[in-house]
Amino acid sequence: MFNFKKTATAGVLALSTALGGAASAEETLSFVTWQKTDAAYGAWWAEAVAELEAKHPGVTVEMTQLGRKEYADTLFTMFAGGTPPDIVHLAAFEYQPFAEEGWIEPLGPWIEKSGLDLDGWAGQETCERNGETYCLMLFYAGFVMAYNEELMKAAGFETPPSTFEEYIAAAEAITGDSDGDGIVDKYGLGMDTIRPAPVMHAIQGLVLDSGGNWTVDGKPTLDSAETIEGFAKWKAIVESGVNPKQAAGNDLRQMLIEGNLGMYIDGPWIYGILNRASEEMRPKLKIAHSPLTPPVGGTSNVLTMPSDISDDRKALVWDFIQIVASKEFQNKFADYSGNPAPRPGLDYVDNIEKDGVFAVFQEATARAAAAGVDRLPRGLELYNSQLSKVIFNETQRMITDDLDPAAVAAEIQKQVLAFD
Amino acid sequence: MIDFSSPRHRHKLGYLLIAPALIMMALIIVYPILLSVDISFQDVKIARIGSDRKPFSIENYEWLFTSGEFYNSLWVTVRLLLFVGGTALIFGFACALLLNEKFKGRSFARLLVILPWAVPEVVAVVIWAWMLDSSFGVFNWILLTTGMISEPIAFASDPTSAFFSVCLVMIWKGYPFICIMLLAGLQSIPEEQYQAASVDGANVFQRFWHVTIPNMLPVLGVCFVMTALWVFRDFAIIFVLTEGGPVGSTKSLAIMTFEQSFQFFRMGRAAAVGVITLILCAILSRALVSRFAKSVA
Repeated sequence: MFNFKKTATAGVLALSTALGGAASAEETLSFVTWQKTDAAYGAWWAEAVAELEAKHPGVTVEMTQLGRKEYADTLFTMFAGGTPPDIVHLAAFEYQPFAEEGWIEPLGPWIEKSGLDLDGWAGQETCERNGETYCLMLFYAGFVMAYNEELMKAAGFETPPSTFEEYIAAAEAITGDSDGDGIVDKYGLGMDTIRPAPVMHAIQGLVLDSGGNWTVDGKPTLDSAETIEGFAKWKAIVESGVNPKQAAGNDLRQMLIEGNLGMYIDGPWIYGILNRASEEMRPKLKIAHSPLTPPVGGTSNVLTMPSDISDDRKALVWDFIQIVASKEFQNKFADYSGNPAPRPGLDYVDNIEKDGVFAVFQEATARAAAAGVDRLPRGLELYNSQLSKVIFNETQRMITDDLDPAAVAAEIQKQVLAFD
Repeated sequence: MIDFSSPRHRHKLGYLLIAPALIMMALIIVYPILLSVDISFQDVKIARIGSDRKPFSIENYEWLFTSGEFYNSLWVTVRLLLFVGGTALIFGFACALLLNEKFKGRSFARLLVILPWAVPEVVAVVIWAWMLDSSFGVFNWILLTTGMISEPIAFASDPTSAFFSVCLVMIWKGYPFICIMLLAGLQSIPEEQYQAASVDGANVFQRFWHVTIPNMLPVLGVCFVMTALWVFRDFAIIFVLTEGGPVGSTKSLAIMTFEQSFQFFRMGRAAAVGVITLILCAILSRALVSRFAKSVA
């Protein structure tokens, strides 16, 4: 029997669904990232974008490449101007001010609604602030050491160092003038000394190796005995001349693949950079565990969405996040990047069989995670930039004015406690 | 209907024609300035266009005037202004005097002088950063191989070296513009004045002091004002070379503004630094323009 009311309701529902579909069919989502042109990550992102577009015919994702150096500034300007990208990709240490301003959508309700299980997801706790989840962690990694085997053996070391003392001894043995012109041209190790964040991370490795950290239970511990020991180790390295005096991370990586640097502690992304070395140099470059225990490591980058886009667009972005978080795409992440993905319970047997270095990355990540290491200082997340500047300035002063590490640590602690 | 051809309304046509340009300037220049002033009086971390205005507060200025960082940046800016402005002016003037003389290859020499000005700033500074690299830079290599130094100079990590490295690059980048301006000024001095001075027995130094300098004062004044304003607002050279370090030795007011806004996300404080910079630039420009205008009169 014809029921007008039911038919009308069904008609309205069908129409609204069709219109909704039509609306989403015409959507273009903006996605800004610094990884689009990266050979490994860029290909992974492209596949995820293609998957979303296939799932939602007519929806297109406009992926735009931005340089890493100006990335946060540009995103900040886009948000401040009221035109944020729909798919928000940020470094793990960058999202907090955005969340603090209410610009990032709390993902709790979306996670609950979709049933996405994030238990055991590596580094996911960094995405949580004030009891709310603001992002999906895309990568958590432990640092490893890339080294030049030929330089190492020539210096009398058959195996890579496994302790701080061995690390320094090897660095001292490698450093020297190889062509006899009186100018040092081979350096034992590389540590960035000119940019605040990498300097902070380099020193953090030494602090961790000494048994300390920047914060304990969210409270600053920059003047603890262990932290002071870390500062002292850094000062000794810089003053010993085993490290190029004025070099940024990219310069050091270049020196490594050109055969002018013995050892460089870095994230697993260093492996891709080693492949840029010449055919002659590549076989000499190896990956080993960091001689520092536990290794520096931590959260890398996150995916989220802005709070002030339409619900339709939020639903599409959430679909994208779910694609990225799926088992299939987490496996693909490991395949493309050559690094363990944050999703727990993945099988890496094939990856390890294909390249044994994968096992080193997996273990380094496990070591860093087991020690609860994160480059982002817990409790000081909002002040990460200020903290890195303070540490950078005061440790530079320690070198230029030959200050006592304990006095420097006390000054840093004082400045950090005054953050408002 | 208004008859714009009548003498009574003719001036209105003029106003009407320049109105679009004035409105555009107001939108592009005046609105951001007013916005910055407004933000500087709010305790705001991240400002957003269209969001509710926060209560009036002088907290940013209180912080600014009690912050050692601000006085350090101000002092760095003043030192840069005096050193870069003064040296670039002297060097630019010397080059302009040289290029004003007739000699073989003058056109090529003029091209060479202008070259640093034509090279994109960031590209040039990156090249300088490599040349000044402590471990592999050509400067240290020359100094070491010639035996002038025994240890490499840490151009970017020693405060004094870093400051003078920044000055060197700023002078290199800035002097060609001064040279071009002064060269144009030199060419506008009537030859008869030099001839008359020569007839009166003036030697080359007297001609320079009594003919060239008085004629060039207005141009010198404009050049100094423009160089001063350039030093105040230049960001790329310092940022690419040292990012304001080490230990704040090259942190100018422009770098401090960037740091507060885009690194520490304290836009209220950054706006306060910007407003103070604007006031200082306005005072400086007014004082210098007035002084040189009077000297000409």
